[in-house]
Amino acid sequence: MTGAAPLLEVTDLAVEFRTPGGVVRAVDGLTYQVEAGRTLAIVGESGSGKSVSSLAVMGLLGPTAHVTRGTARLNGTDLLALPPREHRARCGQDVAMVFQDALAALNPVLTVGFQLTEALRARHRISRGEARQRAVELLDLVKVPHARERVRDYPHQFSGGMRQRVMIACALALDPKVLIADEPTTALDVTVQAQVLRLLAEIQAERQMGLVLITHDLGVVAGVADDVTVMYAGRAVEQAGVLGAFRSPAHPYTRALLQSVPQLGSRTRLPVIPGRPPGPGDRPAGCPFHPRCALAQDVCRADPPPPLVEAAPGRWSACHFAGDVLRGAAVPAETTPEGDPR
Amino acid sequence: MGRYILRRVLQAVGTLFLVMVVLHLLTTFAIQLNGNPALAFFGEHEPSASQLAAVEKRYGLDDPCYDQVGNPCAGPFVDRLVAYAQGDFGTNLRGRAVTEIVAQSAPHTLRLFVVVTFTWLTIGMVLGSVAARWRGRPADHGIRFTTVLVDALPVFVLLLLYKFVVTVPVHQWARSEFGSESWPALWFRPSFDADHPWATVLIPGILLGVSGSAAFVRLVRASQLESYSGEHVRTARSKGLPERYVVLHHVVRNSSIPVVTAVGLVFTEALAGAVVTEGLMNINGMGGVLWGAVKGSDVSLVLGVVTLLAVVTVVVMIVVDVLYAALDPRIRYE
Ligand SMILES: Nc1ncnc2c1ncn2[C@@H]1O[C@H](COP(=O)(O)OP(=O)(O)OP(=O)(O)O)[C@@H](O)[C@H]1O
Ligand code: SF4
Ligand SMILES: [Mg+2]
Repeated sequence: MTGAAPLLEVTDLAVEFRTPGGVVRAVDGLTYQVEAGRTLAIVGESGSGKSVSSLAVMGLLGPTAHVTRGTARLNGTDLLALPPREHRARCGQDVAMVFQDALAALNPVLTVGFQLTEALRARHRISRGEARQRAVELLDLVKVPHARERVRDYPHQFSGGMRQRVMIACALALDPKVLIADEPTTALDVTVQAQVLRLLAEIQAERQMGLVLITHDLGVVAGVADDVTVMYAGRAVEQAGVLGAFRSPAHPYTRALLQSVPQLGSRTRLPVIPGRPPGPGDRPAGCPFHPRCALAQDVCRADPPPPLVEAAPGRWSACHFAGDVLRGAAVPAETTPEGDPR
Repeated sequence: MGRYILRRVLQAVGTLFLVMVVLHLLTTFAIQLNGNPALAFFGEHEPSASQLAAVEKRYGLDDPCYDQVGNPCAGPFVDRLVAYAQGDFGTNLRGRAVTEIVAQSAPHTLRLFVVVTFTWLTIGMVLGSVAARWRGRPADHGIRFTTVLVDALPVFVLLLLYKFVVTVPVHQWARSEFGSESWPALWFRPSFDADHPWATVLIPGILLGVSGSAAFVRLVRASQLESYSGEHVRTARSKGLPERYVVLHHVVRNSSIPVVTAVGLVFTEALAGAVVTEGLMNINGMGGVLWGAVKGSDVSLVLGVVTLLAVVTVVVMIVVDVLYAALDPRIRYE
């Protein structure tokens, strides 16, 4: 993290779902920051609340969800405190979102050109010709070949990679300040993944956008992110610059993830670490990670660790022993794997 | 798109041919088992053999195959197809051209149909959309409860109630209040009046439409609810589009695809309802003609009318399919 004022600042966000089995807290005190021109990667196991928290920021949660506390400040304005109509109006132009499965996320019965420019047309009186021109520009921007002809096509006529580019172009239509990309490449072939990611990184750098990249892929994190937020059980357990976090993690969960990075080629999903993450309904007392943590002490089973504390400059961790972990101390021998890649 | 339509039309022609084969076989076996329908021509009195032979010849019933049970009578069938292809649908037992009879009665049925379809679509789309938009709210519960009520009331009960309980007092009151030629008096006439075909068919048509709309309301609601939770709707919202726009362009637009399919299916149901309504409200339409023809063993008339109805149904199916393709590009480019 640098000293610059953050563009998007999510603080202590909590989201609950009403379910037949009772209230479930999917996000429980998440905090992160994104700065202009930087990429923040959010990583965490399935179910850790990455998507739900992004949807909360966008105001796109369904009727059963409820943001119980927290703020999401964009340039100082708390989006979550705005009336729904105003919050909606900020979407697309202040903060936009790219979804994972472009085939489902694009409307199958409308042309790509229509979907690229509908937000623009709904906000400004522009002629059909101008809208068309703009659609072509957007497709050019994401490097879809033959943009002029392709604006008339429907989503199902595109290949997976091209479709994801269209999805990205849709999100860029109003020139957003922050882009949240929720696993934008998980559905794609490995080679196509790299192309799409490179494109995203290019556009992000060119426009000095803040990019929140949600991913399972630590290789992606290392390749394109500046900062990383590691989520576990609905909250951030570590936030740091990518280099620092990879070289010397300040949270045992991050360390376990890094130690179990699988070999190249099978790196599509987050590496598995022993045990399973707790569901939103059955989080243990104390530190939610303690049943799987190699460093757990009695205090971990009794008291929850403080939310992110600064263990070193720019190194935030939510662990009772953040400082020790950061220094690489007190790692019980049996959990040190052979062939640590770092 | 052109190829798609062509394929549909060819399929439709095939279907039509099958319908005609089945119809022919059914009537043939009916004649073979029940005896000579030409007798019906003479009503009560006994014809001489030569009279009977003349009549048989006139209606194409002289082929000996009609006396052999189990013979499919392919010869007369081909003759009839050739005649139909030339626009000759034969005559009824009283010598009137089938085409003329149909031309006279079809507009009445068509009018009923227009009113029914219009009512049905309007109610279905409006109530279905409202129920989906405010799911789980009082409006939704109210609408769903009403559809159950409507379903519990069959068309003929609804029409009987209307005809014998509502129309008489209302019609009389309207006549004395506004005059017998006024719109209100015509609307509530207990039976059809060929001089005022639209006014007198309006309310029975609406009732028929209402009774058919219950299932349709539920269908529209269900398909829109599915759209509401669709990922593409979430994307549309993420673009900052106002909710009204999202509903119109991404929910209603997408859910119109299953709805159009249902229109085709319910068409046949409406056809059955129309026959009942015509009978009850004394509307001299296709339903009445068909009913009379079957009762009077009027073979050519039955065959002609049923064939025409099959043609209409098949045409509607084609229109639905084409509309379907127009609404859904994935079908169009398949
Ligand atoms: N509509 C819902 N109703 C109830 N619980 C939900 C709902 N949506 C999500 N959850 C719960 O919220 C938690 C977080 O889900 P979320 O989709 O944010 O996970 P994620 O980190 O994005 O996982 P993945 O990597 O699989 O995408 C999950 O445990 C899930 O069960
Ligand atoms: S608080 Fe304790 S259990 Fe939790 S991560 Fe730190 S050491 Fe492990
Ligand atoms: Mg997710």
